[in-house]
Amino acid sequence: MSSQAAGERKRRKIRLEDLLNNNIWDVDPRPHIRLDTSKCRDCNYKPCVLLCPTGCYTTHGDDVLFSYEGCVECGTCRVVCPEEAITWEYPRSGRGIHFRFS
Amino acid sequence: MGLDIIVGIKYVPNTTNVNIDPKTGTLVREGVPSVVNPHDLVAVELALRLRDRYGGSVTAISMAPPHAVAGLEHVLGMGVDRAILVSDRVFAGADTLATSYVLAKTIERIGRYDLIVMGQETIDSSTGHIGAQVASWLDLPYVYYAIEVEYTGDGFIVTRELEDRIEKYRLSKPALISAKMYSLEPRQVTLRDKLRAVLERPIETWSNKDLGLDPNCVGLRGSPTIVSKVEFTPKVPRKNIIFEGDLREAVRKLVQALVEEGVI
Amino acid sequence: MGDRFDVVVIGAGPAGSSAAYNLAKRGFKVALIERGRKPGSKNMFGGRVYAKPLEEAFDGLDKAPIHRWVVKERLSIVNGEEYVTLEYSGSGGKSFTTYLTDLTDWMASKAVDAGATLITEVVVDRLLIRDGRVAGIVSGSDELEADVVVDAEGVNRLVLEKSGLVERLTPRHVALGVKEVIKVEKGDIEKFFGLGEDEGLAWVFMGSVSDGLPGGGFFYTNRDSLSLGLVIYLEKAVEGMKRHIYDMVEDLRIGPLFSKYVENGRVMEYSAHMIPADPRAIRPPRLVWDGLLVTGDAAGLLINMGYTYRGVDTAAYSGMLAAKAIEEAEGDYSASSLKRYEEMLMKSYVGRDLEKFKGVHDLYMNPRLFKEYPILLTGLLRRLYEFDYGGYRLSEAFSEARRGLVSLPRIILDLLEVYRKL
Repeated sequence: MSSQAAGERKRRKIRLEDLLNNNIWDVDPRPHIRLDTSKCRDCNYKPCVLLCPTGCYTTHGDDVLFSYEGCVECGTCRVVCPEEAITWEYPRSGRGIHFRFS
Repeated sequence: MGLDIIVGIKYVPNTTNVNIDPKTGTLVREGVPSVVNPHDLVAVELALRLRDRYGGSVTAISMAPPHAVAGLEHVLGMGVDRAILVSDRVFAGADTLATSYVLAKTIERIGRYDLIVMGQETIDSSTGHIGAQVASWLDLPYVYYAIEVEYTGDGFIVTRELEDRIEKYRLSKPALISAKMYSLEPRQVTLRDKLRAVLERPIETWSNKDLGLDPNCVGLRGSPTIVSKVEFTPKVPRKNIIFEGDLREAVRKLVQALVEEGVI
Repeated sequence: MGDRFDVVVIGAGPAGSSAAYNLAKRGFKVALIERGRKPGSKNMFGGRVYAKPLEEAFDGLDKAPIHRWVVKERLSIVNGEEYVTLEYSGSGGKSFTTYLTDLTDWMASKAVDAGATLITEVVVDRLLIRDGRVAGIVSGSDELEADVVVDAEGVNRLVLEKSGLVERLTPRHVALGVKEVIKVEKGDIEKFFGLGEDEGLAWVFMGSVSDGLPGGGFFYTNRDSLSLGLVIYLEKAVEGMKRHIYDMVEDLRIGPLFSKYVENGRVMEYSAHMIPADPRAIRPPRLVWDGLLVTGDAAGLLINMGYTYRGVDTAAYSGMLAAKAIEEAEGDYSASSLKRYEEMLMKSYVGRDLEKFKGVHDLYMNPRLFKEYPILLTGLLRRLYEFDYGGYRLSEAFSEARRGLVSLPRIILDLLEVYRKL
């Protein structure tokens, strides 16, 4: 591999799921976030999708698909949701994200 | 009456998503915090349910370095009554045989107990040995993959779940069971119980001074197992295919791709 | 429950641990309740802390996990591949870089050593209200009574919200910070930036990195790692995001400013946290109620000076002042007695700087700051420095660079605004 090609390779983005793989979670099987997806269909901007840093929200057509496992508990989704469709609590029992180098 | 239950827990590195260093190919362990082995929390939950139903007590035991106190505090926070940390330098480097020996001797020293509950296996080594070995040392009846326990006064009716059937066993007491992983949802830590754990500190630490075991039977010296090699399964690169289109169409394409791959 | 505490502190972050430490050393029986498995495990920040207020709050920085003392400051204005950088090198020693996770753990250990009771893994759900005053806290079905409660729950402040003491957070209240911590080879940082082994660099940048949205980036040197991240103000982001925030952060990592420093590094952690934004919006109507004091991020005590943020030292300082006020209240924990806290806080550097820099947020809401001006500035310098034969005079370069971009009167007005608010 030429050094230029090596440089190109290094300059590629790391996929979000690989980035997240560096973090440590103790995921609670009980979700700490609840989403009333019926409210998402008519939501224009769906800001949660682009603003959730860990990509917990994705779109499928007009619907929003949601998973809570990779949540780092920043709370942004709750704040930006125009429909107030998100019920957001902290995980209990010390579960959830465990930052180590932040 | 009431049931006196002992539950074994292991405090393990939280390796649910460990990263592999691309340069060295080894696990990145730096700063990985420990957790109570998740499968042991199912055992704790089972023990607590039995205590809540029949009365009695739950004692958690763990053989580990001193930092495992945090794990014992966690289960005390769930409602466990008492905890014993068995900790001594001579216990270090133990395989499952030496570990189960120390645990069995710890249980003997506790003395009064009706039931011992263990997790099915640990997330860091997955041997599943400890339950069977402790039962052997103590000469107890042993059932694993237990999902339900009923106390009959002189023993237990234990339901175990296998892939294709459910079995019921009648056990005399005392007995040892391993709880099937994921069969119960461990309860949350509560303020009341965590506060008690911190203020009353019902955690004892036993060393080999208390147990008086032959140093040749514990720790590295008492461990006949030799791990000759650990190989990681190669990480299969992901294909990163996104199946577009409406749901029906996307699923059809997905199924077709899986068939082509020979997966289904 | 039989155990009664003088004070319950919600959250073992910088504010809470400081309050607990300063109360415990004054002989108060304190419960410090933390939702994380250990203090710090839920904390995240950009990367640097100003030392002096922290030193005052914790009576020194003995054994504090200090990575590097900042001796070099950089400010860059970025437009795509081009950027303009201002660098200041000084004697330093005023601020240091660290992992907030470790620093917070250290703060909590100071509180515990002073006699506070730390209770981890417990979420406080709401305040216990009796006869119209705060009488403790509630977690699940358990209550814990106390004479007075210090709320240091952090920026999300679910407890205050549920108790109806503050309005629901809206995008105007907060900004989102996202960062990657990247491990580099030992010695790399010294080599890259010409630093001594305990010397550090703090680098902030704005412009096209935030896709024209109010916000900016940060870069700090830790002991053997780099912190690289982005702050986006949510007010404009709700409708203005063009791509995923993760993409924006990753573009920083592989982009022209930083790729050479991080390309051989390994990402150690990817984290995110919100920070208080508009100080006037997020500040609760009051910081004391009967039996309650509000500190740290929950009180909106983050100062954006335009070129640097401070939130950790202000949080710790507010915790210390809350403890002082509680002592001075001599058992009368009514709002009028606890008002001393708010007075002391507002008279301190925290209140003074909050007031001094309150206009910075308005400045940040000026979209030209993140779009037109970076283009103008880099265009100006490109014309001044890059030529084959004949060069430009400054005035020529300037008028050409701003052509079609922004009018001269507009620039003058904006400059006046910057001058007034910074």
